Amino acid sequence: MATLQLNNIVKNFGSTQVIKGVDLEVKDREFVVFVGPSGCGKSTLMRMIAGLESTTSGDIFIDGERINDVGPADRRLAMVFQSYALYPHMTVEDNMGFNLRLAKVPKAERREKVLAAARILQLEELLDRKPRALSGGQRQRVAIGRAIVRNPSIFLFDEPLSNLDAALRVQMRIELARLHEELDATMIYVTHDQIEAMTMADKIVVLQGGVVEQIGSPMALYHHPANRFVAGFIGSPKMNFLDVEIRGADAEGVDVVLPGGDCRVPVKGDGVSTGDKLTLGVRPEHLKIDDQGPLTGKILVIERLGGTTSLYLENGDSQWILVADGDVTSRVHDQIRFSFDPACAHLFKRNGEALLHRHCHPLVASESK
Amino acid sequence: MNTSKRWLPRTFKVALLTLLLLWTLIPICWMVLSSFKANDIITASTPRVLFSPTLEHYASLFSSGNSLWPYLLNSLFIAGTSTLIAVVLGCMAGFGLSRIRIKGKQHLAFWIISTRMAPIAAVIVPLYLLFRYLYLLDTHAGLIVAYLSFNLPFAIWLMTAFFDDLPPDLEEAAMIDGATKLQAFRYVVLPLMTPGLVTTTILCFIFAWNDYAFAQTFSGPNTQTIPIAAAQLLTQTGIDWGKLLAIGTIVVCPMAIAGLLVKRWLVQGLTLGAVK
Ligand SMILES: Nc1ncnc2c1ncn2[C@@H]1O[C@H](COP(=O)(O)OP(=O)(O)O)[C@@H](O)[C@H]1O
Ligand SMILES: [Mg+2]
Repeated sequence: MATLQLNNIVKNFGSTQVIKGVDLEVKDREFVVFVGPSGCGKSTLMRMIAGLESTTSGDIFIDGERINDVGPADRRLAMVFQSYALYPHMTVEDNMGFNLRLAKVPKAERREKVLAAARILQLEELLDRKPRALSGGQRQRVAIGRAIVRNPSIFLFDEPLSNLDAALRVQMRIELARLHEELDATMIYVTHDQIEAMTMADKIVVLQGGVVEQIGSPMALYHHPANRFVAGFIGSPKMNFLDVEIRGADAEGVDVVLPGGDCRVPVKGDGVSTGDKLTLGVRPEHLKIDDQGPLTGKILVIERLGGTTSLYLENGDSQWILVADGDVTSRVHDQIRFSFDPACAHLFKRNGEALLHRHCHPLVASESK
Repeated sequence: MNTSKRWLPRTFKVALLTLLLLWTLIPICWMVLSSFKANDIITASTPRVLFSPTLEHYASLFSSGNSLWPYLLNSLFIAGTSTLIAVVLGCMAGFGLSRIRIKGKQHLAFWIISTRMAPIAAVIVPLYLLFRYLYLLDTHAGLIVAYLSFNLPFAIWLMTAFFDDLPPDLEEAAMIDGATKLQAFRYVVLPLMTPGLVTTTILCFIFAWNDYAFAQTFSGPNTQTIPIAAAQLLTQTGIDWGKLLAIGTIVVCPMAIAGLLVKRWLVQGLTLGAVK
């Protein structure tokens, strides 16, 4: 049982401001992921929550209690470091039981709790080994096991999977999701990988340059990105962008000029007027090959993945990625026409801000209930 | 092609190392060997490798009258105490210096080690005057302070480098695990610092144990160390070679044996950060 609240958190390192006023509310048992490009301040924010960094200003509350001045030892958190930070001179058992030893828990009880956590992570066989005798994946599990034994109010993970190979990463991702279910705990997870964020999070916090760009569920970020940065960051392959001119706009929709005919995007067009220049955004999976389509392009590269095929298109100086069926017959150098469902398109103002969709996506609408 | 390219330098390297080894070892071996020879064999004009060993020089060193014991105890006490203080303080200061985040940290670190770079001769006279005012001449404390003035900055500098090599993640993990800063240091940092502590201890001890200049200037009848005892054997009436070689052996051997015992850590320590 634990909630977390950040109020206008700011962090300066010397004269550079790294975190520029972050507000966040984490509910009990929520899985929250901080995601953003490298160097955007994710780790710094997490370290402030853990108490390893002081805050320059702003308040941190755990369960409603202000903990700015509480040391990391007394915040009752557990953290899994990117480097795992296992104590090299201790066995796996001692690593996992270190916090119990500090709390002067008797040896028998200590062993019992370590064993219970080891069982969850299938580590029983490794308890007598030193970290250096473990593989990367095993070290990872020990680090997680150490966090579980701590029985924390909140779990913190700082890019825990980034040192694992791709296959292991997928496996651990699933395991972490299972663990969240099983432990029923509040978890905060930092990653630069939007796929990890999308697959594990209840709530994603997108950070860029120390500023929160958007907070929301994975589906909310996917279907209703608040700005161009979030739109480009979430989703893979990346969203296509095209600078467009506006033919007309009202509260019901915005008419966009496209090379092969106009198109009405159902977003709220307040404040937009004829002749404005906006940016149109369409995800590759929402583009489809269409002989009557308003857009054209020449195929530069084809990537066949079996189930789907990615077409890399070029038209003048605009580039497009289109994800089509696995069995499309197009070939490199073909000139094709394509279209999209206007309801899936996004429009962004010059400052990057998205125009609001008139209809909420059904998945997102059902979440808020 | 590759092998022929490397063949020459390799032979060259081996030859160079062999020469260096002979250069270093022959005098020491000869000294140790000769300390077991009777006086007439030592001074004979033809060097002898085969002889019947005698302990007479060692026996006479520790016989009553002019015993070596007080010198030995002085050396052990003074070198030991100054090393202990240097390593304890150096360890704590080094940890602080390594972890603190302040502007101009490198300059502070450099200033500390620069005090170690002054030649001994440059500080002997000022220290002498200082010690005279403080009544530290011919005291154990005086020599301990004198050795500390060189060993402390060295220990701080060396330990800082060792701590820099230890990722702060470990002590941070310990603190999140519920440890106070001191507990994190005691249970996690310190056990991992063994190579650093051993290296620093040995290098500091060697400096104090081998010193002649400070001891010659600051010690008196009560505080003379072994190198002084050796020097006293060089008299105008002649040199007692047998005793001199025996003292030399007593000075050198403990250091060499200690060095061999902790070789693993010492090598790890001296190559500091070179191999990860
Ligand atoms: N101790 C520090 N001193 C100075 N700058 C720092 C320190 N830690 C992090 N930074 C800077 O803060 C920014 C954010 O770092 P970080 O939180 O580690 O990013 P992320 O985890 O998102 O990759 C980076 O530009 C980094 O250089
Ligand atoms: Mg980071």
